[in-house]
Amino acid sequence: MNNRSVQYTVSRGLLFLITFLLFFFAAGCRTQEKQTALILYNENDPFIYTFARQLEDLTSDIPNYQLETIDSQNSQILQNEQIEEMAAKGRDLLIINPVDRLGSYSIVKKMKDQEMPIIFFNREPLIEDLKLWDKAYYVGARAEQSGQLQAELIMELFGNDPNQLNQYDRNGDNIIQVVILKGEQGHQDAEIRTVEVVRAFRDRGFELEILITEVANWNQVQAFEKMEQILKTFGGSMEVLLSNNDAMAIGALDRMRLEEVFSDTNGNDRIDPLDDDWLPVVGIDGLSEAVKEIEQGYLYGTVLNDSLTQAKAIVELSEYILEMRRLDGMSFEIIDDKYIWIDYKVFTLD
Amino acid sequence: MRNLSIGQNILIAILGIVFFMLLVTGVIFYTTFSQRTDTLVESQSREINKQIVLNYEGYINSVIETANYVQYASLNLDVNSAASELQNIYLINSEIKRDVVSIFLFDSHGVQILGDPVRDSRRDGIARESWFTSALAENSIFHFSTDNSQSISADNDEQVISVSRSVKYTDTADNKNGVILIELNFRTITDLAEKTNLGPDGHILILNDDDSLIYSSGNYDQLRSRESIQIAVQNYFGGFPAEIDNKVMHMNITPLSQTRWRIVTVNDVDEVAQAKRRMLLVLGLIFIVSGLVAAAAAVAISRRISSPMKLLRISMANIEKGDFYTKVSVSGQREVVHLAASFNSMIDTIRSLMEKIVEEQRDKRKTELRALQNQINPHFLYNTLDSIVWLAESNRTDDVITTVVALAKFFRISISRGETFIPAADELSHIRNYLTIQQIRYQEKFTYAFEIDDEINEYKVMKLILQPIVENAIYHGIGDEQEKITIRGYKENSLLIFEVENTGYGVTDERISEMYRILDGTHEVNSVGIRNVYQRLKLYYGAEGNIIITSKLDELTNIKLIIPIEVPVELPADKEIDV
Repeated sequence: MNNRSVQYTVSRGLLFLITFLLFFFAAGCRTQEKQTALILYNENDPFIYTFARQLEDLTSDIPNYQLETIDSQNSQILQNEQIEEMAAKGRDLLIINPVDRLGSYSIVKKMKDQEMPIIFFNREPLIEDLKLWDKAYYVGARAEQSGQLQAELIMELFGNDPNQLNQYDRNGDNIIQVVILKGEQGHQDAEIRTVEVVRAFRDRGFELEILITEVANWNQVQAFEKMEQILKTFGGSMEVLLSNNDAMAIGALDRMRLEEVFSDTNGNDRIDPLDDDWLPVVGIDGLSEAVKEIEQGYLYGTVLNDSLTQAKAIVELSEYILEMRRLDGMSFEIIDDKYIWIDYKVFTLD
Repeated sequence: MRNLSIGQNILIAILGIVFFMLLVTGVIFYTTFSQRTDTLVESQSREINKQIVLNYEGYINSVIETANYVQYASLNLDVNSAASELQNIYLINSEIKRDVVSIFLFDSHGVQILGDPVRDSRRDGIARESWFTSALAENSIFHFSTDNSQSISADNDEQVISVSRSVKYTDTADNKNGVILIELNFRTITDLAEKTNLGPDGHILILNDDDSLIYSSGNYDQLRSRESIQIAVQNYFGGFPAEIDNKVMHMNITPLSQTRWRIVTVNDVDEVAQAKRRMLLVLGLIFIVSGLVAAAAAVAISRRISSPMKLLRISMANIEKGDFYTKVSVSGQREVVHLAASFNSMIDTIRSLMEKIVEEQRDKRKTELRALQNQINPHFLYNTLDSIVWLAESNRTDDVITTVVALAKFFRISISRGETFIPAADELSHIRNYLTIQQIRYQEKFTYAFEIDDEINEYKVMKLILQPIVENAIYHGIGDEQEKITIRGYKENSLLIFEVENTGYGVTDERISEMYRILDGTHEVNSVGIRNVYQRLKLYYGAEGNIIITSKLDELTNIKLIIPIEVPVELPADKEIDV
């Protein structure tokens, strides 16, 4: 072997070695990638759909953060199977939107056994269940706040003075006649929103007359149908329509347009609160259809479940968990080492 | 492997292939079968579990719907002003639903507002009952309790599940907190569980959130289901195989929505496991049987191939021993038969070559022999003619006649019509003639005697074999004293022995060994004589023909000629011998 070919062999060997090491390094990096599963109760829920996309967008630029989105199709049994599968595959973190609040109990116990951290969102597990496992967290909005904000919107519209209501107190009796469209009977959020909106009025000294609390199961069509009878019975006396969510508010508005409740009395070519027979309707959630209704002047306002901020909180929390950092360093306040509460936002035309 | 026979190689190869194929197919077959049954069992168990859970969920949902309806009614109707209307709703709902035993509404202090009359023994303790306290403690969910399993209704003794929840009701236009209680017939749960087939020892367990047993199906009591409960408690939820009571089971645990209960289905799949074991057994049997069949076939095939080979090998061994005359006869595979045929023709060729060599050797010997026989005569003839001349000059007419007559006889026998072998009698008379001639020539310086057994006369001996020895005796024996030459002929077993003995000084042992060396040809001398005889003996009679020289110093010398009676090969008659 001459000198040249020795050099050649050595350089080739070195090249091979470097490639080999690079390959291993790359493979090593891959295994360091954090695997997170996002398990949704039902992707057909528009709020959940938007929320999932926001989460995916936020995590897409984070290096070594792999997010897998799974839809439980509104079945706790399916969700359990999915969680079982994820536990078997070994994920670094599960972000779960439970189908059944009480189903979280078994999930928390199982995840504790697997030493897998969990972040719940959208449906709050019982606090006693959440406390079973140190690394179980909840990110969400306080349901009671949405009702309070709804009440504040209306109180502001009525002039903010419980003793002197303005022109929106149509019959001038200084009492606000309300119709409430309630979500699913027994549903935690429906109960809380209904109770809290009423409580907020009363706490501020406003007198309220609840004409009827109608259950429309969160559903636009049911609200549309039930509104027919409500308008017949209370059409003349109703001063405010409070809906537990936007979908039911839109259903009610559909019926009210059909019954020609609204008309452009001041002739400015649009429906707005200045029209004489205009009636305030408020929802909760901030759906894009609701925003459209607000822009057109039919819906007075909505309370926004701030999904983007929630998504940001979840992403930040998950990064802290995966990197094992102290949670009190986060930009979001963590309460009891378990909860991050995101405020609702009010959305009106102005 | 290198030392193995063809048969063993074939056996090993066939068995190896067969076992390998069987093993590979067996393993593939079994693993596929086993995996498929496992998946089937798993999915089936899961489906059964799902169905059961769905049944329960449907049931729970219907209960909750009832509860919600009743609650809604309590909120919309005033318990004070519309008391009888509400009471009706409560009673009708418990009436029309077969599984609902009764429905009650209590205020926040445990005082009954609506529903069936409460049995006296329980009335004062409502506020302390677990369903009541837990409903107030966590107001956002329904509480399912089996703690106090007897109905609180005065009209009913049934075993019940208490479903309670904190609710709001309207009392004289005022919202108040209370607790609604729906008692469910425990039998409904039992009915839902017993419709399913989970195998002989399969069972359903319902566990409370504190992992205590609410219900177990079949005859599985608390004690018997301890093992299943233990496994279920450790695994929270999901499906997995488990061994319970030494039987293979498939366990599925699913939390029941709206409650914190877990439904555990234990599917007895031991039969499937047994089927798998049987399959393994059958595969093992197939393996052994086909292994044996393959081994038998391999042995048969290897025999068929190797036995003609063995035959061939034995034949070859025979040929090595020198048997060129038996043919190899082999039947069997074409190749081996061809081989045998080629081998036979090879042996034929070898044999004919050998025969040819033998013949050539014989011809060569014959030529040599003739040459040797022809060597004798000229010297003798010259000497004899010389002595006849001398006798004639001395006018010894009679001696001339005797000599000439003896000479004539001598040559007649020498020629013997070209025969190489002549009767012993002829050979002896040839010697007599010779001695007659020599006696006359040496002027009675020796005497001679014959001691011959008559029985040897007819045996044929190689002609002119004794004469050189007698000649030798005469030359070496003649001295100052008259010597005596004795010629003996007798038979000893299968040998003819001729002895030529002469008196005289005898010879030393050194001389004898020197003479033997002359016979071997290792000591070259000019004289032909005895060596000629020796060579001819060896040429014709082989090892058995011999010459033995013995001597007693100052007394005698004896040369013994040993000739086998049987002549191995009869030489063809020569047409003429020129002398």
